[in-house]
Amino acid sequence: MEGHLVRLCLDAASKSRESVEIWRRQRRTLERMPTQLADALLRQLLRRRLVYPSLLEVFQQCVEEIDLKGESFVDAEWMAYLGSFRHLRALNLADCRGINNAAIWSITGMTTLKELDLSRCSKVTDAGIEHLLSIPSLKKLCIPESGLTAKGIMRLSTLGKLSVLDLGGLPVTDLALNSLQALTQMEYLDLWGSKISNKGAEILKMFPKLNFLNLAWTNVTKLSKLPSLTCLNMSNCTIQYIFEGEDGARTPLSKLVISGATFTDVHDAFSYMEASSLSVLDISNSTVQDFHFLEDMNRLEYLDVSSSRMEDDDLLKSVACVGWNLKDLNLSNTRISTLGVTTLAGKVPNLQTLCLSHTAVDDAALSYISMMPSLRAINLRNTNIKGFTNQGGQGRVLSLTALQNLDHLEWLDLEDTQIRDEVLHPLSAFGELNHLSLKSDFLSDISLHTVSSLPKLQSLGIRGAVLSNNGLLSLQPPSMLQMLDLRECWLLTEDAISTFCRSHPRIVVQHELVHTSSICQNAGDDGSSPSRGTSSASQARLKKGKSSQASCRFRRENFVDERIKYSREELLRLQFSAVLAPPHTGISGPQAPVKE
Amino acid sequence: MKKEETVKLISAEGFEFVIDKKAAMVSQTIRNMLTSPGSFAETQHGEVTFPEISTTILEKICQYFYWSLQFASGKETEFHIEPELTLELMMAANYLHT
Repeated sequence: MEGHLVRLCLDAASKSRESVEIWRRQRRTLERMPTQLADALLRQLLRRRLVYPSLLEVFQQCVEEIDLKGESFVDAEWMAYLGSFRHLRALNLADCRGINNAAIWSITGMTTLKELDLSRCSKVTDAGIEHLLSIPSLKKLCIPESGLTAKGIMRLSTLGKLSVLDLGGLPVTDLALNSLQALTQMEYLDLWGSKISNKGAEILKMFPKLNFLNLAWTNVTKLSKLPSLTCLNMSNCTIQYIFEGEDGARTPLSKLVISGATFTDVHDAFSYMEASSLSVLDISNSTVQDFHFLEDMNRLEYLDVSSSRMEDDDLLKSVACVGWNLKDLNLSNTRISTLGVTTLAGKVPNLQTLCLSHTAVDDAALSYISMMPSLRAINLRNTNIKGFTNQGGQGRVLSLTALQNLDHLEWLDLEDTQIRDEVLHPLSAFGELNHLSLKSDFLSDISLHTVSSLPKLQSLGIRGAVLSNNGLLSLQPPSMLQMLDLRECWLLTEDAISTFCRSHPRIVVQHELVHTSSICQNAGDDGSSPSRGTSSASQARLKKGKSSQASCRFRRENFVDERIKYSREELLRLQFSAVLAPPHTGISGPQAPVKE
Repeated sequence: MKKEETVKLISAEGFEFVIDKKAAMVSQTIRNMLTSPGSFAETQHGEVTFPEISTTILEKICQYFYWSLQFASGKETEFHIEPELTLELMMAANYLHT
């Protein structure tokens, strides 16, 4: 990690054009600069939009890694300078709209280059690929949704060191895949949306080291046993068999994503697979009706059945008996009710993240949820939670009190519930809570002040509430608060919000009337991204929310859609590292590529 | 000031900066040199030579050490870095782990 002074120097060096002009003449210093510093400096300059092609020249001796993802101004002139870099190891040109075949010509013969990302560079075609064939050192090549055809893909077979190849959204045919057999180092192969058929899938056996395979949106229905595969994505496929073949050899498959898949017979499909090796299973949006197959998956840590046909009964019979290791469970948008939650109580001792959004769960469920001692994050958005129960003669009992038993609770989403001011008092005893989202017409200043006493709160959303200017200005925000989401609080005026922002400069405020960009630097990178909610149900909302915020938060820096900042690989990794991440941020949504 | 409480930092050109040990400890590298048991000559003499760091940069580094102590105690002032020093200073800071 960079030290504090190093960071100060990076900031000073990238303060303005003028400062760049001063240090760029110190050539000898630049030449002996350690790689990691040079990489960091260039990254910082790019972030501040201070790089122009000829400035790249000063970095040609020291930089090994360049990320230009999404920079539409990158063109042939940039590439000409990049081509002269002596030690360049990784070059990311994903979503660079200016990149075409001619631009790629500049990097021919760069024998230091090991990783190249040309994702979604649609002007790169078969002719451009010819230039890459002179880079035999390439180990990782990403060209999804570029302009390649099957013919160009076949040419890749000469890049013998390739171990990571992303061909997503390209017309890879069985024949093309057949010619790639020569690439025996292959470990990661992404073929979503390709023209591979069952016949082509047979060829996959020829890659002895293959451990990641994505066949989403293809016509593959049967997959033979692949001995080293650990991660498989067959989302939106019609699945007959997974790992058909003679028994015997164990498969290390631990992650299976089959979101939106249809099955001819779900039990046949899983019958060849070693169920007990799975730790991650995503069957969201699938048409499965019978969940018996879950019963053997006793090592499962992450289970996503959102938007599936799971019902209370299934939960009782299947999930409850494999619950011991479960850390992350997504039941959103299913027919699960409080009854289902009661069956889970006491059976999921290690569960850390529970998503019940868009279900019919009500307050009675809360006392059962409180019997899941490891819970860190709970999503109850858009449920029937009211915050109280009527218990016979005793009158109203505040149901959120039950959650006080959960010592580790850090993240709670109660948006779009029927919570009112008077039931929120129990929240003030949640000592570990650092993220809270509320959204309701029934909330007022009282709620704002109730939750402001939470000592560790970092991100607070209280949307659509009847907050007054006075209420906001008299707020004593928790000392660690970084993000305050006040969108749709229609009563607040621009003056009041900007006064609040001035007196609390560390807090990023989100509201329709916030236009200042000075306070908006680190918004969105702290896990409190606005696109929370569950995949299918909130896709539309997610996009809407993003664009409205983009206007207020990312004015100064050209805003880039969050999704394209991540490669598919990173998205998957993010999804699978779900342990501490808040449940179901936007990124965990589309398993399958989103076609737009 | 007692000798034990100070350290001498010597630049490439041979200039000597005598500063508080506490300030010098802001640098992880110097801290390791001064606290590692016995082996370094630096530990015994309280002297560290930096043949790679010029006088101008070492002076700036010393200023930073003191600024950093103040900053840690809650005094929030800006540490100004002249653009012509940024690269050298960054490399020195990287070496010193500060």
